[in-house]
Amino acid sequence: MVRLRWQCLLCGSVRAVETHLLGKTNFGSPGGVTTQDHYVRQLWHITYVFAVPIGLIVLGGIVWCMIRYRVRPGHDRTPSQFQYHIPIEATYTIVPLVIVAIVFGYMYNAENHVDAIAKNPAVAITVEGFQWGWRFTYPNGHEEVGTVANELDINSNDNLPVLFMPAGETVQLHLVSDDVIHTFYVPEFLFQRDLIPGINNVVDFNVIKPGLYSGQCNNICGVYHAYMRFLVQVMPVAEYNAWYAQQPAGSITTAGVPAQS
Amino acid sequence: MTLIQDRPEEHLVHEPVLMEIVPGPRPRGLVKYITSTDHKQIGLNYLVTSFIGFLFAGLLAEGIRTQLIVPNNHFVTESVYNQLFTMHGTIMLFVFLGPFAFAGLGNYLIPLMIGAPDMAFPRFNNLSYWLYLGGFLVMSCGFLTNNGAANFGWFGYAPLTEAIHSPGPGADMWIIGVALTGFSGIFTAVNIITTIFTLRAPGMVMFRMPVFVWNQLVTMFLLLLAFPVLTAAFALLWIDRHLDGHFYDPTHGGQPILWQNLFWFFGHPEVYILALPYFGIVTEVLATMSKKPVFGYKGMIGATLSIGALSMGVWAHHMYTTGAVLLPFFAALSLLIAVPTGIKFFNWIGTMWRGTITLNTAFLFCCGFLVMFLFGGITGIILAQPVLDFQLHNTYFIVAHFHYVMFGGSAFAGLGGIYYWYPKMTGRMMDERLGKLSFLVLLIGFNLCFFPQHDLGLRGMPRRIETYNAGMGWNFLNMISSIGAYIAGIGVLLTVINLFYSYRRGQIAGDNPWDGQTLEWACSSPPPDHNFEALPPIRSERPVWDANHPDQLTKVGH
Amino acid sequence: MKVEWRTVLGASLFLGATALVYGAYKNHPVEASGVTMLAFGFFAYGLLFGYLLLVYLRRDRIPRPEDRFDATSADGEGEVGYFPNASIWPAAMGLGMIIGVVGFIYGLWFTIIGGVLFFGAVFGWMTEAEAATEVPLTEDEEDTATAAGHPGHIDAHPEHID
Repeated sequence: MVRLRWQCLLCGSVRAVETHLLGKTNFGSPGGVTTQDHYVRQLWHITYVFAVPIGLIVLGGIVWCMIRYRVRPGHDRTPSQFQYHIPIEATYTIVPLVIVAIVFGYMYNAENHVDAIAKNPAVAITVEGFQWGWRFTYPNGHEEVGTVANELDINSNDNLPVLFMPAGETVQLHLVSDDVIHTFYVPEFLFQRDLIPGINNVVDFNVIKPGLYSGQCNNICGVYHAYMRFLVQVMPVAEYNAWYAQQPAGSITTAGVPAQS
Repeated sequence: MTLIQDRPEEHLVHEPVLMEIVPGPRPRGLVKYITSTDHKQIGLNYLVTSFIGFLFAGLLAEGIRTQLIVPNNHFVTESVYNQLFTMHGTIMLFVFLGPFAFAGLGNYLIPLMIGAPDMAFPRFNNLSYWLYLGGFLVMSCGFLTNNGAANFGWFGYAPLTEAIHSPGPGADMWIIGVALTGFSGIFTAVNIITTIFTLRAPGMVMFRMPVFVWNQLVTMFLLLLAFPVLTAAFALLWIDRHLDGHFYDPTHGGQPILWQNLFWFFGHPEVYILALPYFGIVTEVLATMSKKPVFGYKGMIGATLSIGALSMGVWAHHMYTTGAVLLPFFAALSLLIAVPTGIKFFNWIGTMWRGTITLNTAFLFCCGFLVMFLFGGITGIILAQPVLDFQLHNTYFIVAHFHYVMFGGSAFAGLGGIYYWYPKMTGRMMDERLGKLSFLVLLIGFNLCFFPQHDLGLRGMPRRIETYNAGMGWNFLNMISSIGAYIAGIGVLLTVINLFYSYRRGQIAGDNPWDGQTLEWACSSPPPDHNFEALPPIRSERPVWDANHPDQLTKVGH
Repeated sequence: MKVEWRTVLGASLFLGATALVYGAYKNHPVEASGVTMLAFGFFAYGLLFGYLLLVYLRRDRIPRPEDRFDATSADGEGEVGYFPNASIWPAAMGLGMIIGVVGFIYGLWFTIIGGVLFFGAVFGWMTEAEAATEVPLTEDEEDTATAAGHPGHIDAHPEHID
């Protein structure tokens, strides 16, 4: 009875801290744009809830010892030579084990949601990475391509390949590499996945918030790795359908290269 | 030659006579550095060489930070930048952090701490040093080649490392250089394990060895398992590059992910190899400077064994984003490692608790270790969770995490070890004011450099990029980080100056300037050939403390 | 040797258990390299464990001085081992190995030179002990050699400084 109440109290306070205190801060991390975001944020909050108090306790212990037990002139005594204390040692073995188990539980749940692959996505796009650029291929064969050759300089977002996606729908990306390992990384989606030659990774996104997001290759892939960037244009469904209808089957749009008429 | 004061004469028994089989005078001068098989000389060779590696790789790091101080910078070209970070990582890990701890301090101190006259295989020890030096030189000579040194990151993922994508001898010299240091490490591991198992002094049972020696033992076990796997991975890579193999080549049925599995099976124990000996240093320094025994000695050893064991099963947490690993298994084991590490932290606090603490440079560096490794460990817990790793992998958050544990953690502890054992090795104390200044500058510089990188990673800045878009919101943090790097460089320089200054001008140290507790403080500074004229009785894990403080004997039998 | 073989046994069993769990749990298709490396670790440490256990069973029924809680230095009397003072052969062998492997990059002739040096060093190393004679050092020789071999000027009989 008492134990149950104690657990409820713990859960309640964790949730309270989560909503009122931590819900307001991201420490610079972007996010809030996909449906997966909720799970990532929850894990961050769980981590803070455990890591901050433990960190403060340990840090406090260290600083306390440095200040309080400093040798002072005239007080050069030999301190009490205690060597062990089984109850304390047992406590700080078992409590962290319990905490780790709790964190793992939340993590396992989150991972199942984030990694899930839908059977019937709204759109399936092939994302192809190569040295040094991206090619996004749509179901009707239309390609959006961009290479570093056409990029102006690192400060410009012109001439980057654009991945068009509908908002609010499940978009499935098939990740393919032509040569070496690249990584598809969109910081605002709080997600990345490797493009490994020979392995076809599949990931699902459901981006709630329309907008233009910046993406980057996130695995060293050669000399121009830093320039292997792309943009993700997430549009409301109607707008996306309108755009898609305008792309002829099998056509290729190369960023930075004017279309041949 | 070396007596411990106030010890009754009847406890003095002379060491058994060591038979000198090789005739002729002891080596002098330059020849001494080449041919000596004395573990102390070889240890010093390693310490000096690894520290030079530290300085060299540090210069490469300053180059990296200079390139990143403003967006769209042109301090170095893309190709050179890739070489800078690759060789910075490779040299820091394979030439500095590892060998400094297990080959430098390990070789020097392990025989002293267990009461042995030398290592079990002295000539083999010498060979290990030459292979190590050769490896360092070969990998660094990559810079002198036309295509430059290796430029694919210190973990060299295939297929980027295949001949078609990384032509030129720089990559081959990297492979051979790292393989040579690997063999050196394996030979040292054989030597150290044999020494610990067979050459302990009478009464020095395994559970009376200093925690430093236990940590080295576990490190050597990890090394024995990990480096052969790396060598195998390199062998397959060599066959791919030069003998028309296709192990990692997907166009002919090979598997790039095989390289990652092999490399990280080595790579994760490797980072624990780079951490565990430094835990040992911290334990020794904290205990001595607090004038207390190690708190929870058996718990410490158990925790070290657990960390060592678990580290062999978590390699794929470096591969979460490949989509090809069993996430729950590795997440569970990675989170579990936090538990024994936490035990060690609480035991360190317990060691300091209610002690009489001398806040000298060695102690300050070890406290710096405690604080910064704590932080690095917590960010490690964050990264152990796959879903959070999907956000943060290969960003500056990871860079911040591993620099907190490797630099703020291990390197700080290593510097603490230098300040602690320099008197034993040279007979002179290091200058305390210069040391404390070095600590302060290094602390400020390090944190200024790497703390902002957590936020850079949260904001999505990838690692290993030679420059970045000015509109991403990363400019200010990068600038602070680079300024911090320069300050940290000054901090290191102050210790280097201290090392040279104290060699000639340092106060004479004597046998036991710190009232040290373990056997290395029972002989002269520096110790004579074959270490011990006579040994104090070994009745606990603190034989020298017991001999010097007979009213405060260490309790045994618990 | 008891603690030694128990430690190694622990490592071996842990690796074996991890190999089993990793191989069996939800691993479809089985990630072969990981299971292989863990299983190999199990066997490798098992080998070391077996040897240490054998030594323990055959030789250490009467504990060695370093395994006895109450041993004194007198118990360790006698020859400790062969500790050669200095030798050129490790450096020669190292040079041979380094030149040899650099030959993999720059040409087989390098490897041949390195190989010759290597095998020459092997021969020298192995026959070094035979070539020498047993010469126990006198106290004076030890004193002089020790005092001369250290950096800086260190008094051979320093005052005990705390």
